Amino acid sequence: MRNKTRIVKDKLAQGIMLTITVLAILLVAVIAVGLYLKSKPVLEESSLWTLLFSSEWRPMKGAFGFLPFIMGTVWVTLLSILIALPISLLTAIYLTEYAQPMVRKFVFPALDILAALPSVIYGVWGVLVIVPFISRHLAPHFVDFSTGYTVLAAGIVLGVMVIPLLVSLFIEIFSAVPTDLREASLALGATRWQTAKKVVLRKTVSGIIASTVLAVSRALGETIAVLMVCGCVIGIPKGVLDACYPIPALIANNYGEMLSMPFYESALMFAALILFVIVLLFNLFSRIILYRLEKSEM
Amino acid sequence: MNVARSKKWKEIIAKLLMWMAMLIVFGFVFSVIWTIFSKGCRVMSWDMITKLPGGGFYIGKEGGLLNAIVGSLYIVGASTVLGLIISIPVVFFMNIYLKKDSKLAYVARLAFDVLFGVPSIVYGAFGFTVMIFFGLRTSLLGGIIVITLLIIPIFIRTMDEATRNFPRDILEASFALGATRWETLKVVLRQIAPGIATATLLSIGRAIGDAASVMFTAGYTDSIPTSLSQPAATLPLAVFFQLSSPIAEVVDRAYAAALILTVIVLLLSITGRFITNKFSKNKV
Amino acid sequence: MSIEIKNLNVHIKENHILKNVNLTLPEKQITCVIGPSGCGKSTLLRTLNRLIDSTEGVRLEGEVLVDGQDIISSGAEITELRRKIGLVSQRPCPLPMSIFDNVAYGCRINKMFKKRRQLIYHVQKNLKAVGLLDEIKGRMRTPAARLSIGQQQRLCLARSLAVRPEYILADEATSALDPISSKTVEDLFVSLKDQYSIIMVTHTLRQALRIADNVVFMYLGQVIETGSANQVFNHPQQELTQKYLSGAFS
Repeated sequence: MRNKTRIVKDKLAQGIMLTITVLAILLVAVIAVGLYLKSKPVLEESSLWTLLFSSEWRPMKGAFGFLPFIMGTVWVTLLSILIALPISLLTAIYLTEYAQPMVRKFVFPALDILAALPSVIYGVWGVLVIVPFISRHLAPHFVDFSTGYTVLAAGIVLGVMVIPLLVSLFIEIFSAVPTDLREASLALGATRWQTAKKVVLRKTVSGIIASTVLAVSRALGETIAVLMVCGCVIGIPKGVLDACYPIPALIANNYGEMLSMPFYESALMFAALILFVIVLLFNLFSRIILYRLEKSEM
Repeated sequence: MNVARSKKWKEIIAKLLMWMAMLIVFGFVFSVIWTIFSKGCRVMSWDMITKLPGGGFYIGKEGGLLNAIVGSLYIVGASTVLGLIISIPVVFFMNIYLKKDSKLAYVARLAFDVLFGVPSIVYGAFGFTVMIFFGLRTSLLGGIIVITLLIIPIFIRTMDEATRNFPRDILEASFALGATRWETLKVVLRQIAPGIATATLLSIGRAIGDAASVMFTAGYTDSIPTSLSQPAATLPLAVFFQLSSPIAEVVDRAYAAALILTVIVLLLSITGRFITNKFSKNKV
Repeated sequence: MSIEIKNLNVHIKENHILKNVNLTLPEKQITCVIGPSGCGKSTLLRTLNRLIDSTEGVRLEGEVLVDGQDIISSGAEITELRRKIGLVSQRPCPLPMSIFDNVAYGCRINKMFKKRRQLIYHVQKNLKAVGLLDEIKGRMRTPAARLSIGQQQRLCLARSLAVRPEYILADEATSALDPISSKTVEDLFVSLKDQYSIIMVTHTLRQALRIADNVVFMYLGQVIETGSANQVFNHPQQELTQKYLSGAFS
């Protein structure tokens, strides 16, 4: 009899846990559906094509062209990856292929700190350090006047924010390369750098791509730090010294008045939906690749 | 030996580049920390921590940050507890009830990895629509719900990692004694306690620093909320809103808030690394 | 052209792995290093081409003279040393690239050829030397990982030969192979010994009996006995060697 209650308990626990797990998984779908329902009105009002590729943004008149914001996001994200990728790759190669344990003891905590700092802190740093630097020292060489609140500022701040993510992902995939492979190359007279370049990097190309895509999706959604340094001027940026207005900044900046205009709320929710769908696809793509790599190692 | 020399030079150049990359990383860390501390320490005072802002947060010259500190503590505390309650069963289920190559476990891990990647602004926007649906206004409750959603994937991913490396032998030893899976949980729980601790620290760090999601859902206020339906201030938003004020005293409050936030997050991070190091040492 | 080891001591962290090793490895012959597992055979090999450097906490003392030059003293050019001393490891380890690129890898690293035609010819020559050329006809551009494990090991040998080494180190090079591939690789080593000096670690005594010209017996980090195969196998001087050969311990 006692045994029976034990088994019932076990089954009951299983049921409850299964429910919670499934509900948590369903959260992905619920977010998608919720945002879609909210953005339906604006989708019915204007075509998807207009929303995505028109640059006319007049909420009062019901014209919602997201192109400037999309381009702002693209500029800032690409620039941040351009900054973060070489630094992260070189750092990760050094840490896995060269470094003595002592060096790691110093670098890992530094990366920990970068990873732990909240977005808003990076924003403050951007406003106090990067923005003045650009407006006072960098921009005068190229343009007459710049406030410093530019694509460049946002790209730098965002780049610094994704470095810890990239480095930790890279270290994970580089460490998974078997030592035998490195030694096979070294034994033929290759230098460490040649080995890193021709064997380690070559072996992990798919992992590097997947990690970069993951970092891109992280950069896409970053809000507060970007919002604080991007300038928030509506328009398609023509260069890195132009101000920009990425999608997350748009959503965060206008939530207050979004209930006051028809379709405005719906348009902003549509913006959130775009972000969600892109991030979802990027994440699915890179995670599935990374899982495969992990499995092939075992 | 021309070849050997060119190889040597390339090696040296590569090494130099790598040193530069690491120097840049250190430079960034130093610059951020130094900026926050040099600005923050100058304006830090006892009043900052113990007083509410007087006369409105955009213009008030008097007072401190107590509203934001308490608001953040409320939200983080509640959502951490909720997050733990929801995540622990999920992690156990994935690792002990499901088989290693189970399809459901694969889908679940993928889903949580994806949720982990969802930007907080999307959580905020989603939370906002849900609140409107239920007729809620910006409130402490809204903030707690959204932050809970935000940290669940962090909890699950981190704990899952700790549990996955859990030796199967111990599980099997417990099963072999006739224990059900439910009873085996107690054994596992004790073993992965350090993993749970690190996961909690990570989640708290993320929860306390996130601004984009609470902006929509918790709102901002000068006072301390007395019920779940009142809006609540948070530290990151205290930084964000007050930094752009034209009044120097208000900007100072932003710096102070940034300092407090940074110190909390650094402490959490250091403790986390400490626990991980100690944990992995015991394991080897 | 020979390798001479004088008073070599290797420490890894607190462990004294090789103790006062003195050896002369003759050229154009097969020298088999035998001994129970954990006696330092592999460490000895890894010291000869300095792959040991990547081991954490390693300390080297003494002299290893390769062609009269000490390779332990820091001035020695390690990559050139490694080119000169090829290594075939226990398990075949094809690099993540095509069969052709695997063999061409070392040549490219060392910039051995200016013309592509020369490189192709050289790769084919070396694949032929290990008997792979006919087996993989038309598959030169496929990933090396698709070869059978025995073929992979021969590929690794071809890869080592392609950089024109003077010595070949083989670390239990046949232990992961099936008996037939094992025999093929073994025969290959015998056929190569008039061009290269081969130093082979093995723990199968019968293999050493079959192919060794010289034998080095090691035990707990020390060289116990060394001499021609005939001498060591048929008239061992040391009691430990006798015990080992009669299978008293392994």
